[in-house]
Amino acid sequence: MIKLNPKLSQKFSYLLLCVATILAIVPVVVIIFIIIKNGASVISWEFLTSMPKNGMCGGGILPAIVGTLSIVLCAVLITLPIGVCAAIYLNEYAKDNLLTRIVKLAIVNLAGVPSVVYGLFGLGVFVMFLKLGVSIIAGALTLSIMELPVIITTARGALSSVPYSFREASLSLGVSRWQTIRHVVLPNALPGILTGAILSIARISGETAPILFTAAAFYVPHLPHSPLDQVMALPYHLFIISTQIPNMPKNIIYGTALVLLMMVLTMSCVAIVARIYFRKRRKW
Amino acid sequence: MVNKIKVENLSCYYNEKCVLESLNIDVVQNEILSVIGPANSGKTTFLRTLNRMNDLDITYSRKGDVYLDDNNIFDMKMEDLRKRVGMLFAMPIPLPMSIYENIIYAPKRLGLITRKSYQDTIVERALKDASLWNEVKDRLNSSAMRMSGGQQQRLCIARILAVNPEVILFDEPCSGLDPVSTVKVEESMLELKQKYTIVLVTNNVKQASRVSDRTAFFLTGKLVEIDKTAKLFVSPKEKTTEDYITGRFG
Ligand SMILES: Nc1ncnc2c1ncn2[C@@H]1O[C@H](COP(=O)(O)OP(=O)(O)O)[C@@H](O)[C@H]1O
Ligand SMILES: [Mg+2]
Repeated sequence: MIKLNPKLSQKFSYLLLCVATILAIVPVVVIIFIIIKNGASVISWEFLTSMPKNGMCGGGILPAIVGTLSIVLCAVLITLPIGVCAAIYLNEYAKDNLLTRIVKLAIVNLAGVPSVVYGLFGLGVFVMFLKLGVSIIAGALTLSIMELPVIITTARGALSSVPYSFREASLSLGVSRWQTIRHVVLPNALPGILTGAILSIARISGETAPILFTAAAFYVPHLPHSPLDQVMALPYHLFIISTQIPNMPKNIIYGTALVLLMMVLTMSCVAIVARIYFRKRRKW
Repeated sequence: MVNKIKVENLSCYYNEKCVLESLNIDVVQNEILSVIGPANSGKTTFLRTLNRMNDLDITYSRKGDVYLDDNNIFDMKMEDLRKRVGMLFAMPIPLPMSIYENIIYAPKRLGLITRKSYQDTIVERALKDASLWNEVKDRLNSSAMRMSGGQQQRLCIARILAVNPEVILFDEPCSGLDPVSTVKVEESMLELKQKYTIVLVTNNVKQASRVSDRTAFFLTGKLVEIDKTAKLFVSPKEKTTEDYITGRFG
């Protein structure tokens, strides 16, 4: 083996780490750059707020934006309360026995199931068995099931970051366990729970497979009227206009991708800013 | 002399290992009983049994009985017991709220506030009784986390007083404090004795001799000796007690 002198090996490792970091960032930057370069020209108020025209080769993408937003918001409204309750139970009440350990293990592993499996599950259970049809609510439920393990895990993290001594201080005053959770633990865990929720909104906005069979339609000429309507959705719409429609203007494809990208990035940024803000305000 | 607390044949275990063995001890109403002894002799376990803070620990188990005014505390609802038997921990633990909210927190949750206008009165009285009022009366709405250690510890005392308990348990309340803050906490303890019954666990033998009426000496989970403080410090019956209080222990 060649023996480098310490100074040289220090420089060498530094260089290696830098190159690795650059390699990781470059593709992301290139993707964003290409999308902006080709798509920015079509972005306008008109594009964001009007219906598609001429077999989707013109007009805007409003129904896809509305569709994605409604599915995702419904999904979060379903997951957040259930996820937080489950996290409270697991973190604050559950005894550390075999059953609890199996449940915790299951939650960790559920987060790794491929999203298309959730999509098929949703098709079987929500669309067909519960007869919800291909609809916003079926898609939202499917996304909820997929996101639940993630929400539970982040919420548990937020709950356990609240020092145990706060719970003891409150209990020692005769305050009940539930009131302690409600008035001491939850308020202090809330920032963490909310940033986790925003991040998962960002994550599921771009998901295609789970809504493919459960909520998304090729084309719907109007905005959704009820949760039982099918909708267009940005990721699926992007897939369709890129592959299924001949002679699609390229800038519309890139413009649609740009809108989806901006939606996801904005939410991630909101989550990051919220995290910084709450960390600064944190009092312990 | 009225016995406020009666401990009968109490044994405590963690993971089946005995850390407190057949303890019999009485606490007299309105006295300060101090408990001294080297580390790991079971003092904290004793205190945490008296208000059942240890009941949440699944490795903990116990035998024997403890009576508060002739009621077995193990038959009482935990919340009711802890309302009557407050506890101050070794490190001050203010809740992450303002000074005012810290004090009013428990009375609010326990439904002790019948009218909103009482809140200010409760806060003022609790802070005065804990000799903290003059230092903080102008900044009741600032965060309790920004007070000094000694002030935080007295805030925790005030927080206990606000629920109007009968017994207060102190677990080495001055171990993290400087001498000046220690004196202040000791002063408020002597003040509190008028109204409350106090059990003080302390690693500071001098503190026990300064403030307590009676002193109990624990060693490796057993009560070695209990007597009037004046007597125990002058003429202890047991050789180990003498060794410990004269600092010749070990
Ligand atoms: N939560 C616990 N789990 C297991 N063992 C414990 C626990 N708390 C205390 N012990 C053990 O019990 C004994 C008594 O501890 P403790 O009551 O804290 O004594 P002291 O307060 O006098 O230092 C020690 O040997 C300690 O290691
Ligand atoms: Mg101790």
